[in-house]
Amino acid sequence: MKRLFIGRTMVAKLFLTLFLVALLTGGAVAAEKVIKIGTLFPLTGPCALAGQRCQSAVETAVEVINNSHPEIKVPGAAAEGVLGGMKFVLVHADHQGKPDVAKSEAERLIDQEGVYAIIGSYNSSCTKPASFVAERKQKLFVCGCSSSAALTKRDLNRFFRLAPTDETESLEFVEFIKYLNETKSAGIETVGLIYENTEFGKHAAEEGKAAAGVAGLKVIADVAFNPGATNLNSEVQTLKAADPDAVFGACLGGDYTLWVRTMKQMDWLPDVALNYCTGYQDPIIAKQLESDGDFFMGGTGYSPEFAELMPAVAAVEKIYMTKTDPSVPFDSDCIQEAIATLILAQAMELAGTTDYDAVLKVFNETEFDSPMSLGGMVVFAPGGQNLKAMSILTQLQGGSYKKIYPLDLADTEPVVPMTDWGSR
Amino acid sequence: MVTFLQVALDGILSGLLYALIAAGLSLIWGVMDVINFAHGEFLMVAMYLSYWLGFLWKVDPLISWIASGVFAFLIGALTYKLIIRHTIGKSAMAALLATFGLSMFLKNACLYMFSPNFRILNDTILGGKTFSVGGVIFSLPQLATSLFSLGVVALVYLLIKKTRLGWAIQATAMDKEAAELMGIDTERIYVLVFGLGGACVGIAGGLLPSYLATFPDVGGLFSLLAFVCVAMGGFGSIPGALFAAILIGLVEAFSGFYVAPVFKYVAVFGLYLVVVFWRPRGLFGW
Amino acid sequence: MLTRKHISKDVKWWIVVAVLAALPLMGVLPSSYTEHVLILIMLYGSMAQAWNVIGGYCGQTSFGHSVFFGIGSYGAAMAVVTFGFSPWPGAMVGALLAAGVAVVLSGPCFKLKGHYFAIATFAIVEIFNRLFMVWDWVGGALGLDYPLVEEGWMNFMWYDSKKGYYYGALILMIFVFGVVRKMEKMRFGYYLLAVREGQETAESLGVNSTRVKLSAMALSAFLAAICGAFYAQYNFRVDPSMVMSLDMSMKFVLITILGGLGTFWGPLLGAAVLIPLQEYSRAFIGGMGGGVDLMIFGLIIVLVMVKQPRGIMGILDDIAMKSREKKEGDH
Repeated sequence: MKRLFIGRTMVAKLFLTLFLVALLTGGAVAAEKVIKIGTLFPLTGPCALAGQRCQSAVETAVEVINNSHPEIKVPGAAAEGVLGGMKFVLVHADHQGKPDVAKSEAERLIDQEGVYAIIGSYNSSCTKPASFVAERKQKLFVCGCSSSAALTKRDLNRFFRLAPTDETESLEFVEFIKYLNETKSAGIETVGLIYENTEFGKHAAEEGKAAAGVAGLKVIADVAFNPGATNLNSEVQTLKAADPDAVFGACLGGDYTLWVRTMKQMDWLPDVALNYCTGYQDPIIAKQLESDGDFFMGGTGYSPEFAELMPAVAAVEKIYMTKTDPSVPFDSDCIQEAIATLILAQAMELAGTTDYDAVLKVFNETEFDSPMSLGGMVVFAPGGQNLKAMSILTQLQGGSYKKIYPLDLADTEPVVPMTDWGSR
Repeated sequence: MVTFLQVALDGILSGLLYALIAAGLSLIWGVMDVINFAHGEFLMVAMYLSYWLGFLWKVDPLISWIASGVFAFLIGALTYKLIIRHTIGKSAMAALLATFGLSMFLKNACLYMFSPNFRILNDTILGGKTFSVGGVIFSLPQLATSLFSLGVVALVYLLIKKTRLGWAIQATAMDKEAAELMGIDTERIYVLVFGLGGACVGIAGGLLPSYLATFPDVGGLFSLLAFVCVAMGGFGSIPGALFAAILIGLVEAFSGFYVAPVFKYVAVFGLYLVVVFWRPRGLFGW
Repeated sequence: MLTRKHISKDVKWWIVVAVLAALPLMGVLPSSYTEHVLILIMLYGSMAQAWNVIGGYCGQTSFGHSVFFGIGSYGAAMAVVTFGFSPWPGAMVGALLAAGVAVVLSGPCFKLKGHYFAIATFAIVEIFNRLFMVWDWVGGALGLDYPLVEEGWMNFMWYDSKKGYYYGALILMIFVFGVVRKMEKMRFGYYLLAVREGQETAESLGVNSTRVKLSAMALSAFLAAICGAFYAQYNFRVDPSMVMSLDMSMKFVLITILGGLGTFWGPLLGAAVLIPLQEYSRAFIGGMGGGVDLMIFGLIIVLVMVKQPRGIMGILDDIAMKSREKKEGDH
């Protein structure tokens, strides 16, 4: 008899659970006078640092949009809200760096929270399914810094991306090497790649290989490693044995510091080390590495050293710095998320309505004035890529990011070859 | 030749580090038959302690390993008192899943408290110092960590084999009831063992910030490698874990350099499978 | 007594199925997000039940199920992405392949006892993960992204409504739970229990324990792979860290044990509690950042394991026992 009885309770429990599920998800009520915007970033997991910074950047942009900031020279900053006072309200979501979570969170943001647009998602592998959902559900997806070139080759109509892609960066790296060879007779003929074996690293490496191949540079080392490494000894040893003249690196966060320190320990350096959007751009890591981080190079979309190129950023950055702990300036990645938010506001303002067709028309046809972008302008190509996206090659010298290429923006002579460890 | 020796040296040095992390796990496993899933998180917490001591009060990891060891001992003992004690004798999976839950909690608690920043200590006494013998480069922080780990593993081994406490631990491991009848306070032994296991990994964590960045996810791969070391070495055998750890370090280094870095863990985990298929109770297991 | 118990279990099962089938039609589901959570409950419930065959009924704690799950999802995804075909044959091939891989790998693994076995299955997941990461034919680290295909059952793909997935998941659950229910009643089910309770005793009664365990593993892997195919279709994407990871393996184990190991209802109960907890805690507090939702999640796992290692089934037993005692006291 006992068994039977338990059975009944259990079915009852099951129904109760289902009922609770139903209760908990009572529909969201859309309030007037506000525009809900979803953010979708990796707030936990291996990319949590970048994700949390991106989220803070979006919050910063929203503060600029919602309140009157006449001191900030960015379109829309002076006015309170958009479209005559409508405020942006953010709904935050965490995708943990997992594509499946990104997809379901995007659905939740749209269906449950009723967001007007989503801003995200840092990891390209998460941006893909999330933006796909937004496209199907006829919402907007504005992407700041996901760097996979494939994202904007999908013919989506409601997807826009601000940052330059790995492809653009790779081409810039190669162009810079050509310049070094021609004017400084640097004699760079061989390239080595070191990258984390993930969607991001693999993609960057493939673009790097392709660009090097076109330029006639020989790729002689192709080192992929698993992120979160306990050591990078064999990786660096492999590079050292092949001894390429230039290295393209795609190592994030902790792996970047480990890579730099392992190279120091093995007393080896290439002539130039060029980095994709990685640990190189993290101002905290740069500071912590001290002189060990010097003479590495990378594509940089923003750093505080660019102040005279982008005078409008400083005032916004001040707000951003209050939102991060420990307080950091913008970096190349997260500033793009702030720009994404500002461009969205600007487009709505220009359209004069929240109607998607009108806003999309603005997105597709406008040359946005964007003083926060290095390019100064934002223009979207079909597929959603920002044609004016650019980055400057920088080199860390004495702990600060010096602009070295392209020449018209450069202010410092590059140190090539890198000063070896012994003479620092 | 120099390259070969360098690769071998790197392998042995990282192997010795794995040994220190694995020794604690091995002890716990041997005495209680519990796999501590939160082992990597103990390491992470110890690294944070060492990092903060170094960052706030400029204490060198060469000293703060003591604090980290003590702290991890307490965490270990507490874990036993609050969690493991209640799962012993119930289901074999209960302790494993409970420590898995604990690892999730610790990881995200540190994420919450300390933010996900990658934290590096600068200006440590050994930081970045190297010397070279015939072209083979020795990195001082790694060398010191390895020597420490050799010392600590030896101490733990001696403690188990040569002291009265060690005999009590062995007796408890073999037969809990019999040990109790002989007047051994097995409850205390369990607390001690879990604490000691924590202390081993804590010492490793205390030394690591001199060359590795500290962040909430740092423990993952270390704990996985420690599991493999322990199982490959054989049930509760500390010399076995030491031997297996060095073997794993070597395989990792050689396959990483001579095959390809992406395959190094394929080789390591493959080696484990080969070993246990050949000797189902590990190299030194009985 | 025995038959009565069985009949009532089946009846209860069909009531649950009927309710789940009727929910979307009655229009009581407030949003597609609720549907999403229900789909996940059915999917993860089925995954846990697939694991339960080997982990619960047969007592072999495998942490390797994400490998089989992954093979299934790659089967479906490659059929669509690489060959531009329907996922159905891909899922079937994947499931059969997974069963084959399971048999090949389990042969030597079953010689291992306790934690040696568990760690061997960890090792296998890591090896597969890393090999798939560099295997360009299956997409390597870049993974496989679904193209836009025509909606419907043929492609098992729906974009705007979740109804298709909902009923797909329901059918998946009916299939997996049905197979396990059938197995419970067959002689094979008793063999499994016999092997779990004592391999030597089982052998002495004439049960070929190796063959029983291998068949159970093959069945379990086959079912897990089908769930994997569904997962790929549902998420439009497959890459090794999504499907072949210790994280994913842990989900199989966690849900089953939290629900109730070796019981028919355990996997479903585990999923019905754990999945909403995971989804709603992430939805409500995950966005604040800092992983508070995961902290709570971790703590709950600790609490359940400490308080009642037999999981929710155990807790329900306790409650039932108490209320029965109380009732008897009243008389």
